[in-house]
Amino acid sequence: MLEAFVTGLRRVLAAPAILIGVYLATLGAALPFALVLRASLEDHLGASLMAEDAASGVNWDWWQEFSAQATGLERTFTPAIIGFAAPLSNLSAFVDRTGQPAAVIAAAAGYGALWLFLWGGILDRYARARRLGAPAFFAACAVFFFRFLRLAVMAGALYWVILGPAHEWLFETAYDRLTQDVTVERVGFAWRLGLYAVLGLALAAVNLLVDYAKIRAVVEDRRSMIGALLAGARFIVRRPSGAAGLYLLDALLLAGVLALYAVGAPGAGGGGLAVWWTLLVGQAYVLARLFVRLTFAATQICFFQQHLAHAGYAGFSAPAWPESPAVEAIVRGARRTTAGARATAE
Amino acid sequence: MTATIERPLRRWAAPAGVVAGVLLGALPAHGQAQALSPRNASYTIEARLDPASRIIEGRQTLVWRNISNRPARELRFHLYWNAWKDNRSTWMRERRLAGDTPLSRRPDRDRSSIDVTTVRLLDPSGGEVDLSASQRFVLTDAGHADDQTVMAVPLVTPVAPGETVTLDLGWTARVPRTFARTGAIGNYFFIAQWFPKIGVLEDAGWNVHQFHAATEFYADFGVYDVRLTVPSGWTVGATGRELEQQPNTDSTTTHRYYAEDVHDFAWTTSPDYVEHVARFDGAPGGGLTPVEIRLLLQPEHAGQEARHFDATRAALRWYGEWFGPYPYDHLTVVDPAWQSGAGGMEYPTLFTAGTRWLAPEGVTQPESVTIHEAGHQWWYGIVASNEVEHAWMDEGLTTFSTARVVEQAYTPNYFVQRFFGTFIPWVQRDIALSRATVGNRLGTFRPASRSEAQATPTYLGFPGTISRISYDKTALWLHTLERWLGWPVVQRVLRTHYERSKFAHPTPEQFFAVANEVSGRDLTPFFDQVFRSSNAFDYGVDGLFSVSAGGRAGDGAYRTELIVRRYGEAVFPVDVLVIFEDDRQVRERWDGQARWRRFTYEHAARVRSAIVDPDRTLLLDVNYANNSRTLAPRADEAATKWSSKWLVWLQDLMLTWAFLV
Repeated sequence: MLEAFVTGLRRVLAAPAILIGVYLATLGAALPFALVLRASLEDHLGASLMAEDAASGVNWDWWQEFSAQATGLERTFTPAIIGFAAPLSNLSAFVDRTGQPAAVIAAAAGYGALWLFLWGGILDRYARARRLGAPAFFAACAVFFFRFLRLAVMAGALYWVILGPAHEWLFETAYDRLTQDVTVERVGFAWRLGLYAVLGLALAAVNLLVDYAKIRAVVEDRRSMIGALLAGARFIVRRPSGAAGLYLLDALLLAGVLALYAVGAPGAGGGGLAVWWTLLVGQAYVLARLFVRLTFAATQICFFQQHLAHAGYAGFSAPAWPESPAVEAIVRGARRTTAGARATAE
Repeated sequence: MTATIERPLRRWAAPAGVVAGVLLGALPAHGQAQALSPRNASYTIEARLDPASRIIEGRQTLVWRNISNRPARELRFHLYWNAWKDNRSTWMRERRLAGDTPLSRRPDRDRSSIDVTTVRLLDPSGGEVDLSASQRFVLTDAGHADDQTVMAVPLVTPVAPGETVTLDLGWTARVPRTFARTGAIGNYFFIAQWFPKIGVLEDAGWNVHQFHAATEFYADFGVYDVRLTVPSGWTVGATGRELEQQPNTDSTTTHRYYAEDVHDFAWTTSPDYVEHVARFDGAPGGGLTPVEIRLLLQPEHAGQEARHFDATRAALRWYGEWFGPYPYDHLTVVDPAWQSGAGGMEYPTLFTAGTRWLAPEGVTQPESVTIHEAGHQWWYGIVASNEVEHAWMDEGLTTFSTARVVEQAYTPNYFVQRFFGTFIPWVQRDIALSRATVGNRLGTFRPASRSEAQATPTYLGFPGTISRISYDKTALWLHTLERWLGWPVVQRVLRTHYERSKFAHPTPEQFFAVANEVSGRDLTPFFDQVFRSSNAFDYGVDGLFSVSAGGRAGDGAYRTELIVRRYGEAVFPVDVLVIFEDDRQVRERWDGQARWRRFTYEHAARVRSAIVDPDRTLLLDVNYANNSRTLAPRADEAATKWSSKWLVWLQDLMLTWAFLV
């Protein structure tokens, strides 16, 4: 397990193009929305002197005024965007199922679809542990996209059950019953923590299952995603401590990144260079989060290859690309020349 | 309003005065030598709580004197707990209008009721007349025919002005799961508005409204002598001072509380309270009398007692210095149990505060709520305005006063957000909260600014927004007055209002008269805007530019034009500040009457910026961003800064959700 973790980390580090690629994809997916919000903020401030304080610090009066007329995406412009409150509020909103505006849901859904596309290439790259080039990467992306789409439908159903009816039962019915007559807040929080743990375990279990289903699909070139899910489940069931332990190790890495950001995340900051410094730190954090996400995949691939394959093995064959017409003409010409030479020799 | 049924009954009124004298004379001599209030509604109550069944068996003797100038042909009582008997009451129907539906799904066991079992008119000679059969529910406001929150008891003979009657009432009440900050959860009981309480007879007739969802209470002053029987070992906190504890043979203890010159009585009991006592020794400059502060704290809030005491002391000091001294020598602060729903409520000499298990420093919880509820001792407890009709007179004045004390004692204080089911606080130390806008609640007022004129009687206001008008708008216009006329003037207004209206029921007109008299101005136009209309204030800069004045040099090199506008309907005089590139400043006074006005300047430099109301005197202006304009705007810089932070937030959100893919 530890070996898989270390090897996986190495594979991620050995493929910086993937990390940079997914970072650019993350930036590209979010940037248009940020530009829309930027336009709204600029429009609301206009030529007002309130922008002075907003630029050099926090103008809470203006912020409240903006919030009062905010619609759609603008409603998410709250103090939760400052520093470490961002991951905290997002995690809280996720586990508490706090509603988000349609535009944010669309952004998250589009981003999810992007990952669905990229996973094939990413997993293939990490499975092979060698450089393949962009064409092979995107070929793998394309080949596995539809398979993963089918897998996503099944995974989506499981997640929907957990985050839909199960969440409702846990945090409305069960939580309400458990805390109905509780008069001590700490006890209420303990119950809530327990229910978060149940929710987290359920989500992690499905996440682990889907991760190994994707890995088996790529490494073993499986076309049936039901088969891949079952195979992934078999793999986990036969090595529960290893699979869970590795997942926990990866989760600890994620916790480490969050802890670092909690310590180092800049606050509201001033204007000028501070704006760019804050952005830089924020992007470094995003990069670190992506690194962790890729580490989950790479370490799990290594763990799988340790047990049911071998390092660098991937069943899916790299595609053979047709040559260009010019090359074919040269090859044909060369063949003719060779044949003529042979005939002359004979 | 339902017509009163009158039947010829025996006249007890005159002799009853003797009974009153006997009863009041029997009260212990613990109180003031001189009555501070009319004391025309005094109660002797005996109540026994059975926590298991949540039933209170009560018996009370009411000595009531008619202090109006009209005879009372009947007596009217509030039976507040019948508001939560079923969904047909006025309270429940109005609550649904405000969008609060979970309460209407409460099972019967969590609902409340109060049944008056006996009503007897006492004769000083020892005789009595049983009026039980004649009691009936009456509708004092339009609609909601099923409401049972007001009971009328026809009298034998009208009680003439100045005369006194004594009534003995027996009743049974069921304690609800908390509604409107009264009720029980587990072993925690907070009991308020719990006994049949007589209404206020004014010269115009009975002022007794059905219990409305967005209103509080109105009652006459009196003396309360209350014996509360609860399980032994349970702590009791109540209005007034505890005189004695009497253990009973059935594992219960009777606690006797006594209070003078108060207009209500509330109490709480629980085996879990941890009791702390501290003392307020008065202000450094003197002039304030010592007060014993009793704090009933939840065990899980151990360590927060100093924060409660400090906030209470700050309140006693500043309110005392500004408005007038706290007239009682005791004050009980109740820290309500989690989920009790009883936090943040005021009663005479007692209030519920409200804190959290995780209460970070720098955030004014529990301080704000403590200071607010302590403030109600002045604006409600002592100056007993009619909360049902003019809630702004207590809630608005208290919100304004709270913000002022918080600024005085707890600056800076910061914005906090709570995550994970609101359990985990996250303090944003970049966002220091200001008294002017946050303390006076401009944020919540803004969307409701046009909803209702403040002159609308509170009980007729829309339940979803009327509190914004009562609390926020009043605080904002009082602070506007403070910035306009100066704090010394506003302080004198409030101090005079307090002095003249303590232990009485002032009307809005009395307050406005004091404001005019003390300020030496006719503030009627201002009160017309903020009180008698629902118009919104919104001034702004519509145009600002400088052009070369045809090649002239010197002072006339540039011609600057400034257009200011009144976008809202409401009118207020405002200053206009124009700043030129050579730092020259011109301050204009605009009466704000016209819809717009142009200012023109010829000056050596171009204009840099202009601001309407540069000192932000008019805190009611709902849109301050449009009040200024600069020719060197930094909106793009600010927008870049904040959208880049938002970008990281969105990226993080996407990463969080994409983890599932």
